[in-house]
Amino acid sequence: MSASDDQTDVETVLAGDISAFEGIVRRWQGPLINLAYRFCHDRGRAEELAQEAFLRAYRALGQWRKDAVFSTWLFALATNLYRSELRRIPARTASVSLDDIAEPADARASDGGLEDHDRDLAVRRAVGALPAKYREALMLFYFHDMDVTTAARSLGLPEGTVKARLFRGREILRSKLPQRLAVPRLKEA
Amino acid sequence: MGRLIGRLIKDEEIDLILSREDEILPSSGFAVSVMDAVRREAAAPPPIPFPWKRALPGLVVAGFALALVLVAIVVAIARRASITPQFSMPLPSVMPPIFHGGIESAAIWTALALLVAFVSVKFSMRMASGRG
Repeated sequence: MSASDDQTDVETVLAGDISAFEGIVRRWQGPLINLAYRFCHDRGRAEELAQEAFLRAYRALGQWRKDAVFSTWLFALATNLYRSELRRIPARTASVSLDDIAEPADARASDGGLEDHDRDLAVRRAVGALPAKYREALMLFYFHDMDVTTAARSLGLPEGTVKARLFRGREILRSKLPQRLAVPRLKEA
Repeated sequence: MGRLIGRLIKDEEIDLILSREDEILPSSGFAVSVMDAVRREAAAPPPIPFPWKRALPGLVVAGFALALVLVAIVVAIARRASITPQFSMPLPSVMPPIFHGGIESAAIWTALALLVAFVSVKFSMRMASGRG
């Protein structure tokens, strides 16, 4: 994916050739759907949200100032839309509270620890149950390959704020997860 | 004799788990469906701008009516104050005679309010129907 392709397509669309927008859609459909999926964990809804994000991007294409990379602008627009839509109609998984997270079904693996799958599930559920501001910061941070700067731009927040939210979010996770992942293991003395 | 060991999750493990979130692939018709929506959007007529020229007389009348109501309120307050001698305040002589009346002025004001309401309704219906 090259930034110049985006710029060329945007200029072509703004000049009146709508079909050039398809290039943008094909390049960014995967990332935008996956970002939406992280917010709602529902494939159908993720595609609906991504479609709405593309439509809004099309309407606002003229507002993209080329001082930022197109993808940064697009992600910020999509993130803003996903956050507001998820606030309006919350995802079904987001209604679980941190204290209500169920213990994994199989709490003990052959080595005495949790099976990877159950552990992953417990961590993801715990993230899903975090307050929105911490959950969104963590979600964007990992979506953007642990790049705080890009996550901050997508959220429209200063980097310092995102760092603070990541720190606090992890702190809450740590405070909740040990109780759930602390699996008794017998060791010969 | 065994010893109980708690297995605490580390930050690195959280990083690893949350970084390897499953990726989903767009459905085959997604791009086509987005482009259809974009074409529909482009084909739709632009939003109708607010008809300021047509609305201006109505807005002027509404502004005038509002000003009259405000004046009436001020006059009413001044009258009440004038009942108590220490707060007496003569009405300005420039005020129209209707402000000095009793029941008659209330009737006039009611009639005026009804007239303004009627004109507003007729005007908005005319605007909505597109006749101008």
